[in-house]
Amino acid sequence: MTRRMLTALVALFGLFVALYLALYKAGVIGTLACGAGSCETVQQSRWATFLGLPVAAWGVGYYALVFALAVAGVQDRWAESRGLSLGLLVLTGWGVLFSAWLTYLELFVINAICRWCVVSAVIALVLFVLAIWDFKAGGRVEVIGDTTPPNT
Amino acid sequence: MVSPGSGKQKTGAGQARGSGSSSGGSGGKGGRGRRGFYILLGGLAVAGIATLSYMSVAAKSTVSLVDATSAPIPNQGHVMGSDAAPVEVVEYGDFECPGCGSFATLAEPDIRTRLVNTGLIRFRYVDFPLSIHPNTFAAHLASWCAGEQGKFWEMHDAIFMNQDRWNTQATRRPERVLEGLARQVGVNAEQYESCMGSGKYVPQIRSNVDEGSKRGVSGTPTFFIGSKRIAEPLTYDEFKKYVDEALAEVMARRAGATSPKTPATKTPVTKAPR
Repeated sequence: MTRRMLTALVALFGLFVALYLALYKAGVIGTLACGAGSCETVQQSRWATFLGLPVAAWGVGYYALVFALAVAGVQDRWAESRGLSLGLLVLTGWGVLFSAWLTYLELFVINAICRWCVVSAVIALVLFVLAIWDFKAGGRVEVIGDTTPPNT
Repeated sequence: MVSPGSGKQKTGAGQARGSGSSSGGSGGKGGRGRRGFYILLGGLAVAGIATLSYMSVAAKSTVSLVDATSAPIPNQGHVMGSDAAPVEVVEYGDFECPGCGSFATLAEPDIRTRLVNTGLIRFRYVDFPLSIHPNTFAAHLASWCAGEQGKFWEMHDAIFMNQDRWNTQATRRPERVLEGLARQVGVNAEQYESCMGSGKYVPQIRSNVDEGSKRGVSGTPTFFIGSKRIAEPLTYDEFKKYVDEALAEVMARRAGATSPKTPATKTPVTKAPR
């Protein structure tokens, strides 16, 4: 298991979380009815939409992109690619900033917390840490949790 | 930090590794690791899709039976229709809830002409403003103040029709837009304003929310039709199906009753001014 494999797995998990939130927002999961829960407060607030699209839909696109990059990074062709590491770093860095902004809104402006939004924020953070690690390692392929040194 | 030379060296190492895996040497470990990775990915994908589809199916169960032993819903809110109608439908609604808005604008016109005006049902709207909607309470208040002048249903319709003009996404001061709507439906502006200023219907609205909570209402719209409680915005056809079931329940009760002359309506109805 390499860092990029781990990144891909975490991104796929994030993709499902974002997909759940997007479907919820669209009324496919759960109904269009209005409830009294915290998640409704967040999802029905004016900040649940960004540039005309639900924030959750942006999340789906974001995780799909990170997932695609990470899976590409696992292939031999790009396994050592420094550009790909940089791409992941910039993308996940942006993701962390955006998540931090949303979490700030939840805590201090909307005054309600949506559990799956928090899960998404944590995933974004994990992806960023993995990307930093990948970037610092400079594209060296390392097998995580394996004592036998690779490539000898 | 990283010299181009060292980068090249790494690329070379990677290529060596790649060729090693194809020849089935020690590098084959990477290929096997990748297979495991794809299996993990596939497993996660299947689990995710299964969970999401299960959730979308489970979410359909919004209908529950009302406890038959509970007391009948007291006379609250506003009523439309005949006292003699065999079935009373109660809607707990929130003026800012999009689901309530779509129900009011899409399904209600048909419900009024085909079910209320034909004497099959009586329709009661009870306030259930949710705290998640900052502007909704002003709208509920406005509906009561218009109701005071006999214009409740006109105001109800205007509020729902123009939901996107006064809701939280549109403005921080819904009172001004609502006042414009009140003028449109033809209320006396002076009386309306003094009513809004006094807030005299606030306790009434709050008590309606309490009553709804006691009956298990947690979201809007929630309908009570016959023995069922339905917590989702219904289309006309869905609504009609539940009304038919409720009518059948009433018929069965009438047939089973010893004195068929007993009227089906037990509770006296305070009719809202129309």
